Amino acid sequence: MSEVQRKKYSDKEKNSIFDHEFMPHIDSMYNFAFRLTFDEDDAKDLVQDTYLKAYRFINSFEKGTNAKAWLFRILKNSFINEYRKKSKQPSKVDYQEVETYYNSDNVDYNMTSDLRVDAVKDMLGDEISNALNSLAVDFRTVIILCDLEGFTYEEMAKILDIPIGTVRSRLHRARNLLKDKLRSYAENMGYDTEEE
Amino acid sequence: MDKDLNTSSKRKLNCNDESKCFELLESILDGEESSGSKEILDEKLAKCQPCFEHYHLEKVIREVLKSKCTKHMVPAELKDSIRQKIQEIK
Repeated sequence: MSEVQRKKYSDKEKNSIFDHEFMPHIDSMYNFAFRLTFDEDDAKDLVQDTYLKAYRFINSFEKGTNAKAWLFRILKNSFINEYRKKSKQPSKVDYQEVETYYNSDNVDYNMTSDLRVDAVKDMLGDEISNALNSLAVDFRTVIILCDLEGFTYEEMAKILDIPIGTVRSRLHRARNLLKDKLRSYAENMGYDTEEE
Repeated sequence: MDKDLNTSSKRKLNCNDESKCFELLESILDGEESSGSKEILDEKLAKCQPCFEHYHLEKVIREVLKSKCTKHMVPAELKDSIRQKIQEIK
């Protein structure tokens, strides 16, 4: 986020900001935390830590500005700095998938073109959710921020500390990976694919 | 397949610049393009089959993500626990 003038809020103002600008986002925050950690207790800890940090640093938040993006950025940083390290799954796996994908010269747009709209519509919530959860965390994150939470590219760039161009290309790759997963589900469901 | 061909008979079957077109379509779906994007979109959907298919597939994926990736319920005690911890650090 852009550097803001540090405020000097009174306790009353702090409580008001906390209650009216921070707490209303707790559902979205918990959902984000859960989809990052896949664990209820870790998600609770992550959200709680985020809110405590938000309170501690409340003077660097400008009242009335984008609290949701500000909170999401704190949560994302806490996750990277603390939770990702202690995660049972080595983060190496994530990077492998990222690297393989980034390093492939040929981004094949036709690869997923045989996935049909009807097949996607018929999928169950669990299948969609599992497909999303199966993506490497960097790809999963941009889809959550964009499609589930409705952040703009500019907000996402600030939350993730990456340029807007990177947001755009990461989203595109994330969606292609998601379509690969959905296509394999569709095949299992017995939908014809055009290649066959 | 036949049905697809019938409905798409007026559209060209190959896109000359898929990479650029698809990027534009995705930006429009994400609400990022504004000036004149509606016209560009209408034209592409009317004239280009790959763009038409890509747009509708991307659109439905966004819809199912939004409607089916339901939010996990926030544990009831979490809010209280946060408030209590805030009191402690005050």
